Amino acid sequence: MLFAARRYDPALETPFWAYASFWVRKAMQELVAELTRPVALSDRAVRDLSHVRAARNDYLQQHGTEPTDGQLSAATGLTPAQIESLRATDRTARSTDERLIEQEPASMTFGETIVDPRAEQAYQEVLDQLEIDHVLDLTDALEERERMVILSHYGLGQEPRTLSQIGAALGLTAERTRQIESAALHKLRENLAQPATIALTGT
Amino acid sequence: MTPDNPALRHNALVYQSVDEYLTRAVPFLRHGLEQGEGAIVAHTKAGISMMREAFGADATRVTFVDVGSAYTRPARTLAAYHQVYAEQLRRTPKLRAVADVQFGPDPREWDLWTGYEAVFNRSFGHLPAWVLCSYNANGTPDPIIEGVWRTHPEVVDGDGWTSSGRFEDPDRLLRRITPTPELIPQLRQIPFDDIDTEQVRERLAAVLTATGIDETRTLEMLLAATEIADNAIRHGGGIADVRVGHAHGRFVCEIEDRGPGFDDPVAGYLAPREGIGSGLWVARQLTWQIEFFRSPAGFTSRIWL
Repeated sequence: MLFAARRYDPALETPFWAYASFWVRKAMQELVAELTRPVALSDRAVRDLSHVRAARNDYLQQHGTEPTDGQLSAATGLTPAQIESLRATDRTARSTDERLIEQEPASMTFGETIVDPRAEQAYQEVLDQLEIDHVLDLTDALEERERMVILSHYGLGQEPRTLSQIGAALGLTAERTRQIESAALHKLRENLAQPATIALTGT
Repeated sequence: MTPDNPALRHNALVYQSVDEYLTRAVPFLRHGLEQGEGAIVAHTKAGISMMREAFGADATRVTFVDVGSAYTRPARTLAAYHQVYAEQLRRTPKLRAVADVQFGPDPREWDLWTGYEAVFNRSFGHLPAWVLCSYNANGTPDPIIEGVWRTHPEVVDGDGWTSSGRFEDPDRLLRRITPTPELIPQLRQIPFDDIDTEQVRERLAAVLTATGIDETRTLEMLLAATEIADNAIRHGGGIADVRVGHAHGRFVCEIEDRGPGFDDPVAGYLAPREGIGSGLWVARQLTWQIEFFRSPAGFTSRIWL
């Protein structure tokens, strides 16, 4: 919480609960990192964050003020809840002793405005959704039989099977099945060695 | 970039206003178009609209790239630009690009992107491209601007073109800003009978699925580990040990070989080409980060999913 308080910037209009929940979550991550599945931001979330930053920079350049979450939502196509969560991961440090109104000694410090975070669950749901939305399906490049061999052998979405078992199901020898897997891995590798895809906005 | 020296020219434009940006960027690209070179603009959506308007009818001759898709993490950003440049160079013998760089407000990421700018000099060093990275000086923190002068041999700003006296050798800069990998004692060994790449994949897949990591990310890790394991077998005297576990909320896999290893801060960041292998390039695309370090027991590649 203290971390969250130090880093929160109320000028950006993100509700403190959304922001603090990130830091609560981060502390939880560090405590249970060994026991749980990875919960750090997925690539998809990082890409979305990149879109949010670009949209924010656009708005700042045009208007000289910070955009609201609604404006960022309209610019990026992300939901306001996603915007809130992504922006909450992208803050610069701020001291709890810093006054809300600069050069105003009577102003409350930021630390005095902190309220209890209540929405960890909401943040969790958003982040989980971002993970689920992350579908860089490498196997799209494969033929059906190649995909089946890879997924079966390594137990992706099913129980793992040996190459002999997979071959028997396909009416092939284990060696032939191994060749199919090898070709599939080669195909995946070659696709990745080619330049990645980027959104062109027109030529 | 001259006919005698077709290699990359990587410079920076530090501008104070939109007018200054347009005054520099548009003639720079138009001059290239007049000479039959390709023109690329990478910017935010608003920046692209502005440049389309500035080019008028000639906008159809310019390739526009939405930076919102590009600046995720350095390995992916390099791969993204590699695609754009490769496509352009299939159509024109040379290209010019003006790319607005997005650092984000988090100081913890600034070194990461300064490192990206440094490695850019080497990643695309072979391409006949003149790339002008643009930075809006207003609101850009001083450490980022200082990094611009350290990573671009020439910088153009209100004073005109200047050869940077602070330009730092990319390898040296990367070594300086890359933290020494910390020991992760909680990783555990995966037992092996006969360590080959297929067995690494099988054992790793069992751990990943048991941990609850989804299929797509499991496959990404398997492919990355395949590249690292193949390297260990081919160049490192074989795989000595494989360790897995979690750290900082991410799944980690360390593959240790018996060889002397290498000391190359740009390993996996150079765009594949003749003489430059694509194994580590592929592995970096698929994973969050890869670190390399020597220990008394051998040379370790650490993959962060």
